[in-house]
Amino acid sequence: MFKSRLGGKLTLELDTAELGVLSQLFDQMSELLEDPDSETGSDPLAKLLNMSGSTQISEDPALARLFPDGYAGDEHASADFRRFTEQDLRTQKITALATARETLIDWTGKSSITAQQALDWLKALNDLRLVLGTRLEITDDTDRDFDVDEPGMHLYNYLTYLQGTLIDALT
Amino acid sequence: MSAMPVEDLAVDLLTERPWITLVWNDPINLMTYVTYVFQSYFGYDKPKAELLMLDVHEKGRAVVSSGTREEMERDVSAMHSYGLWATLQKDD
Repeated sequence: MFKSRLGGKLTLELDTAELGVLSQLFDQMSELLEDPDSETGSDPLAKLLNMSGSTQISEDPALARLFPDGYAGDEHASADFRRFTEQDLRTQKITALATARETLIDWTGKSSITAQQALDWLKALNDLRLVLGTRLEITDDTDRDFDVDEPGMHLYNYLTYLQGTLIDALT
Repeated sequence: MSAMPVEDLAVDLLTERPWITLVWNDPINLMTYVTYVFQSYFGYDKPKAELLMLDVHEKGRAVVSSGTREEMERDVSAMHSYGLWATLQKDD
């Protein structure tokens, strides 16, 4: 869990089981974000200008949730928006994830976290929850019974808990 | 940024703040997280951020900022980097 200390410092404490789960989830998330199929175009100039992004929303609901349309009900404007912003957004998400992963290298059970690392953890954990929640088809429908024994639900609930401790520590 | 049709440009020139950023409700993002994002990105105080978050949650969406089309594209992009579901449109 994340804890705030005097002077605005943050610490992260994780046991071995948590470390294992998070490392595995970060690895999978990294694969999802860097999937070459989701990047189109290899024009070096376009890449240089950050214009190599696709123009279509992903057919994968989880990727569609991470990279949503910028305009509701305007395909043309959304395509333009995506072309100019998606690659940068992808890079930001990959960077946040990489920062979170780095703090787990040579893990000793406890680590202090800088303000920038905390923001990256917050975004990385949120992206993980979005992907997992989409895969688990989490909805606002309170009538629906979720199978609490499903492993995915355990992971989702753990991520919700961990992100909650980080928000508490930051606010 | 996006190629802007001439009529949109005219609206931009004639009216001061014709574009808005909307954040849409979703079942995954935590209410505390959404409030935190509104505070830290837009610099809104906690009461305003919480009010906007509740609007999103209860009404399904809320206008979180307004400005030029370029500014709103920047805000929408930032919301997406936080994982919030946001779109921009002309303020009709």
